Amino acid sequence: MTSTRSFASPQALKNGLSEQQYIANDEIATIMYLSQQLGKPLLTEGPAGVGKTELAKAIAGATGREFIRLQCYDGLDETKALYEWEYAKQLLYTQLLRDKLQETLSSTTTLTEAADRLAHEEDVFFSMRFLLQRPLLKAILSELPTVLLIDEIDRADAEFEAFLLEVLSDFQVSVPELGTLSAVHRPLVILTSNNTRELSEALKRRCLYIFIDYPSIEQEMAVVRLKVPELSAKMARQAVELVQSLRSMDLRKSPSISETLDWAKALVAINAKSLDVKTMETTLSVLLKHESDLQRARRWLQRPSPGSGPGDGEDSRLTRWRN
Amino acid sequence: MEERIVKFISALRAAGVRVSLAESADAFRAIDELGVQDREVFRLSLLSTLVKDASSIPIFEELFPLFFGTSGVPPLLNLSDDLSPEEAKMISQALQQFKEQIRQMMERLMRGEQLSQEEMERLGKFVGLNQADDLRYREWMTQRLQKALRFPEIRQALHELAEMLSQMGMDKQRVEQFERLMQSNQQALEDQLRQFAGQKIAENLSQQPPDEGVDALLNRPFSSLSDSDMQRLRKEVQRLSAVLRTRVALRQKRAKGGQLDAKATIRANLKHGNVPIEVKHKERTQKPKLVVICDVSTSMRSCSELMLSLLYALQDQISKTYAFVFIDHIEYVSPDFEGKDAREAVHGVLERMPSGYYNTDLGNSLENFTRNHLDTVDSRTTFLLVGDGRNNYNDPRIDLFKTLTRRCRRAIWLNPETPALWGTGDSDMLKYAPDCDVILKTGTLAELTVAVDRLLAQH
Repeated sequence: MTSTRSFASPQALKNGLSEQQYIANDEIATIMYLSQQLGKPLLTEGPAGVGKTELAKAIAGATGREFIRLQCYDGLDETKALYEWEYAKQLLYTQLLRDKLQETLSSTTTLTEAADRLAHEEDVFFSMRFLLQRPLLKAILSELPTVLLIDEIDRADAEFEAFLLEVLSDFQVSVPELGTLSAVHRPLVILTSNNTRELSEALKRRCLYIFIDYPSIEQEMAVVRLKVPELSAKMARQAVELVQSLRSMDLRKSPSISETLDWAKALVAINAKSLDVKTMETTLSVLLKHESDLQRARRWLQRPSPGSGPGDGEDSRLTRWRN
Repeated sequence: MEERIVKFISALRAAGVRVSLAESADAFRAIDELGVQDREVFRLSLLSTLVKDASSIPIFEELFPLFFGTSGVPPLLNLSDDLSPEEAKMISQALQQFKEQIRQMMERLMRGEQLSQEEMERLGKFVGLNQADDLRYREWMTQRLQKALRFPEIRQALHELAEMLSQMGMDKQRVEQFERLMQSNQQALEDQLRQFAGQKIAENLSQQPPDEGVDALLNRPFSSLSDSDMQRLRKEVQRLSAVLRTRVALRQKRAKGGQLDAKATIRANLKHGNVPIEVKHKERTQKPKLVVICDVSTSMRSCSELMLSLLYALQDQISKTYAFVFIDHIEYVSPDFEGKDAREAVHGVLERMPSGYYNTDLGNSLENFTRNHLDTVDSRTTFLLVGDGRNNYNDPRIDLFKTLTRRCRRAIWLNPETPALWGTGDSDMLKYAPDCDVILKTGTLAELTVAVDRLLAQH
């Protein structure tokens, strides 16, 4: 593993990210830099699929830190997020070590003495060896600096959020049998949320905040060109423009950047020469995941006259991709 | 600079963004780190540390340029230098046709003179700008300032002037040019006024005492709330519902110790050789099913609105809600809430039932209800009535109320009046009371919150 580095300016961080094939705008770079300098967790919010998770991966790559991910879901609790004793392993060890235990205890005469001696050996069974480290503890105990991604925090329940507060504020955890464990290196923490529920004030207060929205045409173009270089510039442009106008429609789920990329790859895969109606028909399902959305988009594409676009003045684009 | 930032933060607070002390400290640390030279970086430093809510970003974006603006009033052009003597003569002749005040303003536009700070202050005082402390008034205030300067008349007069000039034989192109330049000067003055109005409002905002007395408001009776108090309480509902949700979620978590789930326990403990180390329980669904009937007559309106907002903010903790409102007849309003902000929905519902003279009639409403919606009430339902029981001497229809309360699991009545007033005047509360399982007094938002908490707890 290469040595880790931190960045001296937002610009350097932006360059670092672009080396990782992540195109960050100034906003992302500046706020990410602040988060690094102030040692505060970064809370990113925005629609699904705009690259919130990807940002965490890219920053891990750019700084050369280890990447640790905690995926949140309903019912997530400390044993899944922090640590758990490995009962099965403890049980197995006691079974296998039975002879040795008997030997240790054989010299004792009374029950109390035996219990005392056993208590003396207790540390063997409650040591790091039997501690199953979950992502949070891993991030805290890691010898190397880490990036900790807490993904979709809005899906975890409020109780877990409160517990997370403790960990995020001083990066130490107390395990009753072992004492307090504190972080060797303070991890860079990134939280993501799709805003399905309101997060608590207390958590927000401890974080820096950034709202990542869908990118502009130019940014999305750059992303497509970078990730799918096989697609010709002209086609990429048309594709991105189409996706952008789809987003202006009232759809159940707007296509995200990752879906744009999937679509671009699909276009390369079927070796499409141009974005004609037939190509669109066959590949549109890569972009839109709801039947009603698909039908809507098809109806809109098949409109004979370029008279009425879905939003404002999309008609010129309509003619452009229809040959 | 620091003072300016502190002012900016208090303006943000006054505009409804919650900024804590820790966050403003963060903002200063961020600025220490990145400096203030680059305006964009400076903006981002403040944005990421102070605003933690996507819905508050627009407020930030509007206030930021008012405090840290480039103060660039577009320059006005001096036209009078460019005029040939004949033209100047023609114009001054034509201007004689207009009233004194308008002529002065036109001459001023020709000279390209900006408004001085004093003039604007004076105008601001005249139109009541000093009392404005809400950015939504910005456009309106700008318009009032313009009116005070007679801009609408001047626009008209400018047109007339141009016509007169071309009649007097001035070169057509020159007239057009003249008119265009005058208009752009006027536009520049408008921008200056808009900026001034914004700055003034922002200034007023920042001088507002920070959020004093939301707690006091919580305990103020609904009957003595002003419109602006309601505005603040509506915001407070969002916060309260978050608090309630946490409590409810915690309670459900702890209450999970229902029946032992034998199958799941055996499966989970296979790895321990079937020694039951992890015990699994069946989950008990704890979420209540609600039928809410709210009185939205004028006296009850604020109470009902806040109640509905609270309930709909907590939808994820309730398995199903049927909401009804009534004044003289019942209306089913649940569809209004689907996929909408609770506040908007309540507003929409109230619009359908405009205030005015109505004969509050719970008896008739109950009859409507039993006829059309009785199937919503079953043995798992909590039946909730929000009202003051004042029935305008109409038939209370206790018989129907009895049927309903027998059908449901629990009947809860929320009444903003104190028990001492029940039964006085046209109140039928004492007649309804024996059939209710619980009657809670909810005269203030604080009491309402406690009531909702109990409602979700004892199910």
